Amino acid sequence: MTRSSSSFVVAFTFTFTLAVAAAAAAAAAPSLEAWAKARIQANLVQPLAKKEESRSRFSRAAPPPTERRVRVLASTLSRDAKGRGFLPYAIDARYGDDEWSETYVGCIYDKTGLLFVAVGDEHRPAEFLLGKQAEPVPGVCQVAPPAERS
Amino acid sequence: MRNSRVQLASRGFLLVMALGWVAIALASLEYFEPDSVAPFVVERLPVRFESLWLGALQWHVASAIVTFPLCLVLGTPWLQRRPAWHRSLGRVAGALVVAVLVPSGIVLSFEAKGGALVTVGFFLSAAVVLVAMVSGVASARRRDFLAHKRHMLHVTAQMSVAVTSRGLLRGFDMAGLEPEVAYTVALWIPVVASALAAEWLAGRRVFPSFAFTPPVPRSLP
Repeated sequence: MTRSSSSFVVAFTFTFTLAVAAAAAAAAAPSLEAWAKARIQANLVQPLAKKEESRSRFSRAAPPPTERRVRVLASTLSRDAKGRGFLPYAIDARYGDDEWSETYVGCIYDKTGLLFVAVGDEHRPAEFLLGKQAEPVPGVCQVAPPAERS
Repeated sequence: MRNSRVQLASRGFLLVMALGWVAIALASLEYFEPDSVAPFVVERLPVRFESLWLGALQWHVASAIVTFPLCLVLGTPWLQRRPAWHRSLGRVAGALVVAVLVPSGIVLSFEAKGGALVTVGFFLSAAVVLVAMVSGVASARRRDFLAHKRHMLHVTAQMSVAVTSRGLLRGFDMAGLEPEVAYTVALWIPVVASALAAEWLAGRRVFPSFAFTPPVPRSLP
């Protein structure tokens, strides 16, 4: 084998290995949807269920549902007026074997993982559902026309 | 035999109401915690006139926590044998009910969960309490104690809805009834049943009070 052909083999092997590693990494990395779902589950649904366990059963608040599920409503990011990317989500609940019904909608921000929940026409930080005082944040979870994005 | 059964039932009622009051009072502390939002409030928001609604909720809960046990205690022979105390505590209860409990309850009823049927249910209960309380005070001033007792039975009976309704809600939840339906039924049954029970008790020959040892005669000397 000549010197040039052995260099070619080394270069090819190196490039091939890199390509395989990159493909494997891409396959192993969670999709945006899966990341959002896991984040909502861990940071909102599970703490909410935990909080409901310790709640007084002698309250006028609705009884905790038997089960909740998270749906991420888009696979690509939308942008708000400040150009920040977010994904809309919905949380469904059901009692016993009843039909699923949508109980909360909101959005999760890419990079920061910040969660917001719709309360009427406004969006508040999702900690609101966990009983923390949280004022509405204007402009979040709202898709802005491309011209408005900064 | 019949009297002892009534006596046992009334003592049982008093005990259940007292326990229910403790449970409600403990569960209601979350309405007064700073920087936190109670699950019921989370569930109800957004509402029109949010500050008014939140204020009404706190005043309603606070006044109910004071007036409900007061009404229970005022109905016992122990306090009825102490007219000065009965009058003073009765005035406190009456003033709180008329000035705070009923108006705040009416504000809350307009945003009641479950819709118009529940609003009407709460409104009816508030109306019974208001009319009975005002009539009860007027009859006491006329020294018509039989009518006074009848009216106050209605006040206490409607206040007991707070306990019986929550008990029913818990039962319906365990039975798997749909929450919205459960909420409506768990309000209307106690409101109507309490009014009927109060009227039935008021119509008995031997007039009952909560633990009543000596029966109160129909006409007072």
